[in-house]
Amino acid sequence: MNKILLIIKREYLTRVRKRTFIISTLLFPILYMLLVFGTGYIAATTKQVLRVAIIDASGYFNAPVLEKQNTLDKSSVLVPADPGAADSIKTDPQKAGFDGYIVIPSLNWKTGDSLVLQSKKSIASSNAALIASKLNTVWDEVKNEKLGIDASNRAILTSSRLSVKANKINDPNANGDTAAGIGFACGFLIYFIILIYGSQVMTGVMEEKTSRIAEIIVSSVKPFQMMLGKIIGIGLVALTQFLLWVLFMFAIYNVTKMSGGAASSSANQFIGSIQKIFSSVNLPLVLSCFAFYFLGGFFFYSAIYGAIGSAINEDIREAQSLSFPVTMLVIISIVIMTTVAANPTGPMATWASIIPFSSPIVMMARIPWGVPDTVPWWQLTLSMSLLVAGFVFTTWFAGKIYRTGILMYGKKPSWKEMIKWAFRRN
Amino acid sequence: MPILELHHLRKYFATQKAVEDISLTIERGQIFGLLGPNGAGKTTLIRMITGIFYPDQGEIIFDGKRFDPLNDIADIGYMPEERGLYKKMKIGEQTLYLAQLKGLKKADAMKKIKEWFIKFDMYSWWNKKVEDLSKGMSQKLQFVTTVLHEPKLIILDEPFSGLDPVNTNLIKDEIYNLAQKGATIIFSTHRMEQVEEICDHIVLVNKGEKILDGTVNQVKQDFKENLFSVGVERIPAGLNSNMPFEVVSNKEQSLVVRIKDGNRPNDVLQYLLQQGAAIRSFNEMLPSLNDIFIRLVEGTPTSRQFQNVNA
Repeated sequence: MNKILLIIKREYLTRVRKRTFIISTLLFPILYMLLVFGTGYIAATTKQVLRVAIIDASGYFNAPVLEKQNTLDKSSVLVPADPGAADSIKTDPQKAGFDGYIVIPSLNWKTGDSLVLQSKKSIASSNAALIASKLNTVWDEVKNEKLGIDASNRAILTSSRLSVKANKINDPNANGDTAAGIGFACGFLIYFIILIYGSQVMTGVMEEKTSRIAEIIVSSVKPFQMMLGKIIGIGLVALTQFLLWVLFMFAIYNVTKMSGGAASSSANQFIGSIQKIFSSVNLPLVLSCFAFYFLGGFFFYSAIYGAIGSAINEDIREAQSLSFPVTMLVIISIVIMTTVAANPTGPMATWASIIPFSSPIVMMARIPWGVPDTVPWWQLTLSMSLLVAGFVFTTWFAGKIYRTGILMYGKKPSWKEMIKWAFRRN
Repeated sequence: MPILELHHLRKYFATQKAVEDISLTIERGQIFGLLGPNGAGKTTLIRMITGIFYPDQGEIIFDGKRFDPLNDIADIGYMPEERGLYKKMKIGEQTLYLAQLKGLKKADAMKKIKEWFIKFDMYSWWNKKVEDLSKGMSQKLQFVTTVLHEPKLIILDEPFSGLDPVNTNLIKDEIYNLAQKGATIIFSTHRMEQVEEICDHIVLVNKGEKILDGTVNQVKQDFKENLFSVGVERIPAGLNSNMPFEVVSNKEQSLVVRIKDGNRPNDVLQYLLQQGAAIRSFNEMLPSLNDIFIRLVEGTPTSRQFQNVNA
């Protein structure tokens, strides 16, 4: 036991003291923020404003009407075409200074018509929809006028609507969107941790094998202790990194709360939305389940990654080909997780959250929806006990492979051979 | 009481009978040579003694008791042929870590590491990394990590490979020193001249079986071919088939002769004196371990063949 502690300490300290750990701990939240805000910013600023010529034969879309719409809705610029210039616009709209043109025939106000936005370059359907809604605003007024609806009745027509919002009977604060969001965030975090730290276990074992220190260590401790020490040590590194991130988040949250109290309304909104998120889920339950599935998932997979590391030699390509099926399992879990948002109680989500290989990711996406309403207690208990049984099994299995593999040099074994090692006596 | 007894050890792998029924006894304080060609099963045998492998059959008695890998490995120091250390770890820290894994208390380990580092003139290396060391330097470090916890049994696999003569002597002196203090040393190598110089007792293993076991002198006596070298002023003329010996080689002023069965060295001398030869020297020629090794191993395939093992 004492020896495992020594190994854990070494694995932990050598990693935490590395410059890459400190840098990645600091950089990850910054990069993540940049990714989230940056893509939003870029999407907002690079919206295309199309300049479209309207070649109108109906007489409804004349210059004053279009100009009025252009000032109200700036998502596109609609310009009535000079009747004389129509031909040159049709032959080359770009040369005439337009992105495209629409020919409007004489229209029947009762049936409407389908129009075509002609252009040389391709135009996104979302942009075409913006133009359609702009033309329809004009068209609505035409119809209203023909039907004799006055301004006050028009207001009734546009604003009087029915809306439907989901509400949970015994938890009025709950919100399906925030539940899905928190579930996604938890699932993705576990996914990253399994892939990043699982492969760290693999390369750590490979390093011990190729530097031939393994033979010296196994003449002092049992291979199983060596493997377990490594997995626990690296798991603690992952936990440390995660806790540091949580700490950063609380720090940033509190700083914005203090500095932004009165200063800006956007900071207040930010704080308000966070408080709303926290109040809409059972935070202690989600956090403790996260810790459980985070560690359970890590142990379940890293043992297998450790076994792979012990079976191969210097060649990183061998590692990739052997670890591919395992990585696929993790990726399949994340694909299943994305279906949870649509139907958190569907059979796919339910079974995937109980079976150990996908449960750490999928169950974490379901838990924020509510226990025991969405996830009954029996499912949570079964999933947790199966995960514990699962990682006990993978650790045992990996330990058997590890013991043979760590001292075996030469040809890369196949999965079949590795399974044979696991079930051999001694 | 011997430090180590192996009784009918056997270990089969999927395609190799690595060790096939080996028994041997190693006395306390001995320097014991474990010899054999490549792939003879030496490493497998050593891995069973160090608790890395379990034997398929047979028994290991360590220090009078049945070998219990969990506890007894603290009394064993093993330096494998393929040297291994963490390349990126600082030397002082690494030595301390390996010593603690062997069960030494931290303070105790520190004290011993300092003694050895001063003795081997390595103290300035403390904060260096292993990747900064030359091959010979890391060899010395590996030796220190092997013997630091004062094991009763030290197993050294090719300990001198890559060392210059000065460092070879340094390690050799330490080996004698440790043996004198009561440690037993198993020394595995292909370098027969080193075995002859250092070892008390040898065992030769080939194809997983023990084919020779004895003290160095005993083995040489067993394999002698009754050869003598005779230094003479002038080769006598009357050499014929009636002599009590036959001439193996005949260079000027020196004869190598094999005594025929039933004759003694005295008969050779008597005969030569009768011929009027002026004798300057007369020596028994014992075979070198190298010759014995080659003679025993020759004729078997130089590398082991793969076979199917049903066990």
